[in-house]
Amino acid sequence: MKTKKSEATHRRRINWRREARLLPGYSLIFIWVIFTFVLVGWVAAASLSSTRAIYQGEVFSIAKNGLNFSNYIKAWNSQNVSVFFSNSLLYASVSSVLLILVAAPAAYVLSRFRFFLNHPIQNSFVAAMGVPVVMIILPLFSVVTQMQLLKQPFTIRMLMIFLFIGINVPYTTIFLLSFFSNISRSYEEAAAIDGCPPMRTFWTIMFPLAQPGVITVSIFNFINIWNEYFMSLIFANSDKTRPVAVGLYSMINSMRYTGDWAGMFASVMILFLPTFVMYLFLSEKIIAGVTGGIKG
Amino acid sequence: MKQNKTMVVAFLAPAVIFFCLIFIYPIIRTIAMSLFSVENVTSPIRDWTFTGVKNYITLAQTSLFWQSMWNIFRIWAAGGIVVMALALLFAVILNSGIRFKRFFRAVMYAPNIVSAVALATMWLQYVFANRWGMLTNFFSWVGLEELAATQWTASGNKFWAMTFAYCFGMVGYHMLIFSSGIEKIPQEYYEASAIDGAGRVAQFRRITFPMLKGVIKTNITMWTITSVGFFIWSQLFSTVTTDLDTITPMVYMYLQVFSAGNAVTAREAGLGAAVGVTLGLCVVLVFVVTNLLIHNDELEY
Repeated sequence: MKTKKSEATHRRRINWRREARLLPGYSLIFIWVIFTFVLVGWVAAASLSSTRAIYQGEVFSIAKNGLNFSNYIKAWNSQNVSVFFSNSLLYASVSSVLLILVAAPAAYVLSRFRFFLNHPIQNSFVAAMGVPVVMIILPLFSVVTQMQLLKQPFTIRMLMIFLFIGINVPYTTIFLLSFFSNISRSYEEAAAIDGCPPMRTFWTIMFPLAQPGVITVSIFNFINIWNEYFMSLIFANSDKTRPVAVGLYSMINSMRYTGDWAGMFASVMILFLPTFVMYLFLSEKIIAGVTGGIKG
Repeated sequence: MKQNKTMVVAFLAPAVIFFCLIFIYPIIRTIAMSLFSVENVTSPIRDWTFTGVKNYITLAQTSLFWQSMWNIFRIWAAGGIVVMALALLFAVILNSGIRFKRFFRAVMYAPNIVSAVALATMWLQYVFANRWGMLTNFFSWVGLEELAATQWTASGNKFWAMTFAYCFGMVGYHMLIFSSGIEKIPQEYYEASAIDGAGRVAQFRRITFPMLKGVIKTNITMWTITSVGFFIWSQLFSTVTTDLDTITPMVYMYLQVFSAGNAVTAREAGLGAAVGVTLGLCVVLVFVVTNLLIHNDELEY
């Protein structure tokens, strides 16, 4: 801070008085963030150590105990974890792709055309985002049982995809709706002048323009479906159809009772890592997805 | 014009059909079911017998159900106040011009993208654990042996331990919503008030807080909706199937209808539907009350 000029050129230089005024804020956030890091760090370390080391409080002494990846291998092989994973992957990826095919056209029409049901539909979609699962689960269960859909793994998988689409249609539509409303109408006008029919205009021009919103909401849906628990517990709680969250829940429970703590923490990490790794790369998009669907 | 009509119908039909199948029909049927005696969830409608509000009366006489409502109320009210206060505090701090804002924001939101089963297990088996627990180690390091010896997940402490752990994860989400509201407040308001000599506290009271009314409403609504679905945390923190400390209405409904435990005295799926309707009404009630209490003043920004 020699002269005014140098201050202007080094705008990112630390202004200590300013930072000092922010100190209380910094310290609160530091406490929170450090707690989070210790929480995850310890569990990660414990998952790589051994039950004995956990008891002796030495999960971080890697030099002494080494890294036991065997906990992971043991946990992975103790039950059909690969089946759980492929189920979750199937449910989350297929549903989030199909959701776009269902919700994007609807969102576009709701954002562009005036017709008498437009606002009622929008309002009911917004209201549906507030409907608790308990309000809909019982009839769904009885209808599905009467249709004999819970007998075979194949029908259960189809059913889960169908349910995940249905549950997320309102949120996805409302999210994309605000996205389409922000795209200028001049694209469609130009396309109409060139004689492009409106439906083709949507798929060839408008849908690609909405790509950033589509990607954001898809990531968000993917993670939500991956972590979904209650519906999977009710409908897909069989060996061949369980997703990761439900499958690992019972694994964690049984390891708790047998006292295999290292294996239990490894199971927790297996459940934790996929969405966490996704988050490492996509956190900005995911955070945009949270605030995007909400009207301020 | 005619082409537009077919387009509207064709584009809307899938979404609306899904909506009717997953939301409209089940909601109507749940409401109807709560007024009937239904022996089994899977009983066809012709086997239902109309009993009026009998299911609701039975619920009102069931102490287990009241316990679950009391628990969810405490999570909603006490947890809600703490979560909202912390979320608003952190949102204000993150927008006060500190460094690494995006990093801190991402870390605070992270618990929300992790499966609740994993997060709850981390708390249960590490933070609250007896031998190697974070709290035990921390308190014995500080020298508070009495606190270090506390059994955090023992019967008397379990409820608050669970609520605390749950709230930790939720702060990040509500912080994001507050934060997006604060970001939308025009910066000129702060500059103008600073020229007039307003300090940080006055700025918060006179600008930030009043401008956040809409966001506060959103936050309360979202908090209520997620509270009503409180299930996994309760399952993980309970040691027996019917744990009075942790039971919530959703767990009660699950036990009642899908009868995983022996809490059930009568097989009655209508009761489960009545629980669902009660919870739905709670959400509506909170929504109406917040809208009456917080006027939006037609602020668009």
